[in-house]
Amino acid sequence: MKKTLLFMIILLSIQSYASEMFTKRASGKPIFIQEGEKKYWCPICGMSLKKFYKTSHVTEKKQFCSIRCLAVSVGSISSNNIKVVDAKTENLIDAKSAFYVVESDISGTMSEVSKIAFAKEEDAKAFSEEYDGEVISFQKAFEMAKKSLLSDIAMLQKKKEKMIYPMGKKIFSKKCQQDINLSNFYSINELKASLINDKLCKNLKGMQSQAVTLYLWEVKRANLLEKIGESITLSKDEKCPVCGMFTYKYPKWATQIFYGGRHFSFDGVKDMIKFYFDATKWGKYEGATRDKISKILVTDYYSQKAIDGTQAYYVIGSDVLGPMGNELIPFTQESDAKSFFDDHHGKTIVRFDKIVEKEVYRLDE
Amino acid sequence: MKIKIPLLLKPSVPIFARSLLQTKINLYLIEFAINSLLRAKSKNIFILVVFTLLTSLLTSVFLITSSIKYELQSTVNALPQITVQKIKAGRHYDIETSVADEILTIAGVSEAVPRVWGYYYFANAGVNFSVVGIEQYASQYKESLAKVVEKFDFDELGSSMVVGQGVKEVMSANYYGDYFNFIKPDGSLQKVALAGVFDGETELESNDMILMPTELVREVFDMREGKATDIVVKVPNVDEITTVASKIKLLYPDTRVITSSDLQISYQNIFNYKSGLFLALFIISLFTFFMIIYDKASGLSSEEKREIGILKAIGWRVDDVLKEKFYEAFILSFLAYLFGVLLAFGFVYIFQAPLLREIFVGYSQLKTSFELPFVFDIQVLFLVFFLSVPIYVGATIIPAWRASTLEVDEVIR
Repeated sequence: MKKTLLFMIILLSIQSYASEMFTKRASGKPIFIQEGEKKYWCPICGMSLKKFYKTSHVTEKKQFCSIRCLAVSVGSISSNNIKVVDAKTENLIDAKSAFYVVESDISGTMSEVSKIAFAKEEDAKAFSEEYDGEVISFQKAFEMAKKSLLSDIAMLQKKKEKMIYPMGKKIFSKKCQQDINLSNFYSINELKASLINDKLCKNLKGMQSQAVTLYLWEVKRANLLEKIGESITLSKDEKCPVCGMFTYKYPKWATQIFYGGRHFSFDGVKDMIKFYFDATKWGKYEGATRDKISKILVTDYYSQKAIDGTQAYYVIGSDVLGPMGNELIPFTQESDAKSFFDDHHGKTIVRFDKIVEKEVYRLDE
Repeated sequence: MKIKIPLLLKPSVPIFARSLLQTKINLYLIEFAINSLLRAKSKNIFILVVFTLLTSLLTSVFLITSSIKYELQSTVNALPQITVQKIKAGRHYDIETSVADEILTIAGVSEAVPRVWGYYYFANAGVNFSVVGIEQYASQYKESLAKVVEKFDFDELGSSMVVGQGVKEVMSANYYGDYFNFIKPDGSLQKVALAGVFDGETELESNDMILMPTELVREVFDMREGKATDIVVKVPNVDEITTVASKIKLLYPDTRVITSSDLQISYQNIFNYKSGLFLALFIISLFTFFMIIYDKASGLSSEEKREIGILKAIGWRVDDVLKEKFYEAFILSFLAYLFGVLLAFGFVYIFQAPLLREIFVGYSQLKTSFELPFVFDIQVLFLVFFLSVPIYVGATIIPAWRASTLEVDEVIR
């Protein structure tokens, strides 16, 4: 198994790469079992069933693009009547008796590893010989899909957040009717069908429809606060009350504590924490007590955006130095904190409420 | 010879008023200084001309250097933080776009954009166009591209393009008014209409650029879907660029990972090599200047000594003599400095430094022209000022001081 090929996966894109001979697209007329206009798309992820026809699975009245979306939809496979497309004949067959080729050179659908089903064992064997991979049962393939679900979702989420949602938002604001009532739709494929057929959006090309659909369904409908991501604003006369340095010179490390309308800026989490625990030590700051704090902002090390300090993860003891030497480095996500921890030889990762005053002072030694 | 007695020596002026007047500029002394300059007209005009030429040469050198530095800096700043290219058998190869998805999962990366672009050689004019694919709704890796995308909708462009000013000129010189025929790798023609012209931020990067929808670039270069020329990566925290770059290299050993600082160094190397030539020029002009200064400083003519002696004999004090000499030197050198700087500005920014510029232009492989951007650097002006005016003033005053401290009868005799 070539390790690099593991990474060359397809996520949401429409084409299947590295597969000039084998494509997941239906070669003939595909069978759609869902009803209405939504039948062309997967109800979980909204991807085209025609394009990912050879990995598509069917249960009850739903048709999924992949075993991954099936695993998201149904918890177990004990009683359900599940069917799968035979990659050879492109007919629907009973999944339980199918032979699955996993970890082949063919990239997976919505997953890192592809799982392609065959009705006959010899077809599966022939396929695994050509494209590498291993022949297993449906039971095992489903378990694999379930097991990798978390990592698959995490990986997709990164791409969605960084690339697809912003793109979808741009397209939506430029091409679509702004008053789409999202509560009218029960599933993502219904929304997609409506976007395309009811002309809610003009002239969507290629993967644009998928980007808009994902943006509307997963960001707008869920009413997620879009991380607008502003960096901390500092005026030129603000000094750190702890060390006396001008904070605007170190925007990478800026942090702020708000006491109602008043706020203080610091040039690093370390100084902010010192002030947080005992403000009076640094001058006449009697009013700056802990119960009056309305907001704490810190700068995420990776994204350089302002984040809520009380919710952040802090890495202590790394080899990255701030303007005041050793620092507590803040992160929004635990996974980011962990990868920073590994890269820069951190000692511990703590949450805000677990920060101990004495340890912060120890950083200066 | 008519000599005016300076106001401050009049005995009727009280002591405190004298000290007050001393702090002010003495107009009579200045008048005397100007007259004294005019008396030796031909000699002083000669010094003025040589001095002006030298300061203008010095200033031009500095101005061109700072202009080109600015141009380079803005080019380098516009470069992506990390560029990932696939290398096969030591050559640049098309990279899979799925690599971008994997790079996105690296902590610290905010964007990974596959770029589809290439050079198109237009044999008739002997120039290379950079043909760049634009994805209207994806994030743009460059400020200037984002501006172009706002102006033109590449999604609706179909089979037309937006070009830089230089490309437009080359095309119309070859009778391509509103379209251009690209020759595809299989020999067939791809007709692309001209939708508009954009102005880039700096001339260097945009003059040879053609922007088209990505699909059209794929068509022109026959590049498959799922492949890209390279991938550009954005890392918000610049401290993390090296870490991210090394992670990409680990993930994909078959790639070349270029960071912006690598590029900056290689640009700088070319620049430094070229500025060595400038340095030679600079040293020669400075050396000539100091020769003239040395000549002047090495002593006054006996006539000048005599003049100082007479001035002293009729009651001038040493500091009056020195003041007068200072005014004389300052007027001459400051005039020369002003003329020199004006001349240099005209030479560099109006006439685009006809001869000097040639030394530098060779650094770009682009066959397109570029203008020296106007950069007003006050430091350059100060530098040239302090290299010329005080040195000349010093070279005039020191021998005058030596002469004026001698006994009067010794000098006049």
